[in-house]
Amino acid sequence: MERRARTLKYILVLLLILILSIVAAASIGAAKISLKDTGLILVSLIPGLNRFIDVSRLDSQDIVIISQIRLPRILLAIFVGIALASAGVIFQGLFRNPMADPFVIGVSSGAALGATIGLVFISGAGLLGISTTAVFALIGALTTTFLVYSIARTRGKVSVITLLLAGIALSAMLGSITYFIMIFKVSDMAKVVFWVMGGLTSASWSSFFIVAPLITVLVIISGFFMMDLNVISLGDERATQLGVQTDKIKKTMLVMASFTAAVAVSVSGIIGFVGLITPHILRLIVGPDHKILYPTSALAGGIVLLLSDTIARTILMPREIPVGIITSIIGVPFFLYLLVKSKRQIFKV
Amino acid sequence: MTGVYEMAEKSNIISVKNLSFSYNRKEALHDLNFNIAGGDFISILGPNGSGKSTLVNLISKVLKDYKGKIEIKGTDIRKLNSYDVAKMVAVVPQDNNPGFNFTVYEMIMMGRYPYVSRLGTEKKEDFDMVRAVMERTETYSFANRKYSELSGGEKQRVIIAQALAQNSPILLLDEPTSHLDINFQIEFMNLFLSLNKQGNRTVVGIFHDINLAIQSSRKIMLLKEGKIYNFGSTEEIISRENISSVFGSDVFVGKNPVTKKLYVSPVFSPAASGKVYGREIKKQLSIHVIGGGGAASPVINLLCGSGYKVSCGVVNTLDTDYNTAQMLGIPYVSEAPFSPISKESQNKNIEFIRSSEVVILPGVEFGNGNFLNLLSVKEALKLNKKVIIIDEKSIRRRDHTGGKAEKLYSSLLKGSAVVIKKYDHILSYL
Repeated sequence: MERRARTLKYILVLLLILILSIVAAASIGAAKISLKDTGLILVSLIPGLNRFIDVSRLDSQDIVIISQIRLPRILLAIFVGIALASAGVIFQGLFRNPMADPFVIGVSSGAALGATIGLVFISGAGLLGISTTAVFALIGALTTTFLVYSIARTRGKVSVITLLLAGIALSAMLGSITYFIMIFKVSDMAKVVFWVMGGLTSASWSSFFIVAPLITVLVIISGFFMMDLNVISLGDERATQLGVQTDKIKKTMLVMASFTAAVAVSVSGIIGFVGLITPHILRLIVGPDHKILYPTSALAGGIVLLLSDTIARTILMPREIPVGIITSIIGVPFFLYLLVKSKRQIFKV
Repeated sequence: MTGVYEMAEKSNIISVKNLSFSYNRKEALHDLNFNIAGGDFISILGPNGSGKSTLVNLISKVLKDYKGKIEIKGTDIRKLNSYDVAKMVAVVPQDNNPGFNFTVYEMIMMGRYPYVSRLGTEKKEDFDMVRAVMERTETYSFANRKYSELSGGEKQRVIIAQALAQNSPILLLDEPTSHLDINFQIEFMNLFLSLNKQGNRTVVGIFHDINLAIQSSRKIMLLKEGKIYNFGSTEEIISRENISSVFGSDVFVGKNPVTKKLYVSPVFSPAASGKVYGREIKKQLSIHVIGGGGAASPVINLLCGSGYKVSCGVVNTLDTDYNTAQMLGIPYVSEAPFSPISKESQNKNIEFIRSSEVVILPGVEFGNGNFLNLLSVKEALKLNKKVIIIDEKSIRRRDHTGGKAEKLYSSLLKGSAVVIKKYDHILSYL
């Protein structure tokens, strides 16, 4: 009972922050649009509310900038952030390991290699409005995850240590292949580097409408396994004694979380630290119970990535810098500050 | 209530048939067959590697690739889901290392996992059950503290509460108290006993401490090298032969005079290596020890433990030394309780002395009743036996004959006897 009230409180606060962040992010940019106008435009875009709002006196260019350029990017940033943070919670819980993030089992290196192949060798319009790069990145991410997973699985059981080691080894190899391709195609090097560092420059409504529903479905389904994740963090043997179908549920969650991360990465490139640090920060605030930690981390991940992306596209206007740089430069010191301040052991290893 | 109890008693709650299990081709359990009746309290004993924990892991369905059949309440557990098994069998492990810093309350609530639906959340009955087990285990007062910050005893209470929250008819204890101090061991054994008696739960436990197991269990299963060595009532199973054979070390089995329960204690054996203080032990030596009032017991224990052939006499029946001789199974000469030594007993004693190489006189108290024992020592000297006198306490304070014993004792000290001050040095004088 008490937990439900707490969860609700945290989620309401986070939603409020998220809405304010959206308005702020939509108003900042090369074209200056006031917060008030931005708010009006945003509300007018909500189906059903537009007849109460009159935006005819506003600059139609501003409306286009917000509705066609900024809003899809804002929403995509939020969904990618949600995907990375929720996958991070699941990986950390499954592996009982503080270093686990959505990229440990090779999602990132696979995506990078796929994207590089797409950027360097293939020129085409892509699929259903998603760029070729994204499609190849998704294929690369899923293939790598599948490979790592198959290596780690022996007789129906997945060994965490083997999984991590296979992930690290395969990532190193795929990374080298990526560099190899880059050396032969120096002309494309800048594109590849920019993609690998992560960014949402390619955001559009069409990519949003494919990625967002996928992420939503995956994140919600995983959400039904949070009690299992609590018990699994006591260790496989204890979890089984308490009634968890450990092998089956671990496999399911591993596949779900990897897929979630792969979908996000395919449109955003590799954005580090959101999936690693957001769950840690939230754990310090809301505690380790995954039933609270998961939804709050997901929302916080959305906020973190939205704010980081806003900084990334505005701080050196008109140039953009890769959002991955911002998430690390701002996220890591903040996380270290929390670690020192709390002086608590958030992980017992 | 008793009716329910008796009904449960009659039927087998756990039934194991032809159970074998191997870890990577190495067989851990071989063809186990046994039944456990509802409401019973059973201990599984055996040395490390005998398969105790494997058996617990099989019954709780943590290990799956086994041969044979395990039935709980008549249902093959292969046909049950993990959560159905968890509703019937709760395991209390030795310790628990959560990956995250959960609170006590969160930890205990995890015991309700098998009852909470994936799409729903905890219901009133879950909260009620957790509250009840917290009261039972006295964990309520620290419900909101972090598990990792608790003391060992508190942590174990939380683990027990977590298992009790499963509300299962069977409790499997996997060395639940071996990390704990004696006071906690007793506290938790009492808790398990009351859960067994009042809660009508079937308890099957692995205990580190044999005596702890004996105190509580109605039946004992001895496991040796993955096979059942013996399974039966505690009184039947706990014997010097069984324990020695299963654990490979010598023990003696006695009866606690207060509780009338059996107890096992190890035979202290400093000479297991065959050497004491660098000297070879002449194990073929026969040694006769003069007994009385418990003075001989530590000496007998030490000598037996070191592998010597030991006899004892003359002791009164019910005397401590008499009990020791009986427990260790050595030959002895005894006299009726509180009676003076008869001529006949003394002769028997001298017979023993005649067939021994060494005679030891520990710090026995002398009265008129056992003065003949002192005379037997004099006889031993006459027979040219090696006599060792342990002169720990002045004879003046041990003489209750009005000087007669002191006089004789002093003359013995002046003779060819070896006199030592402490019994534990005795091995180096043999």
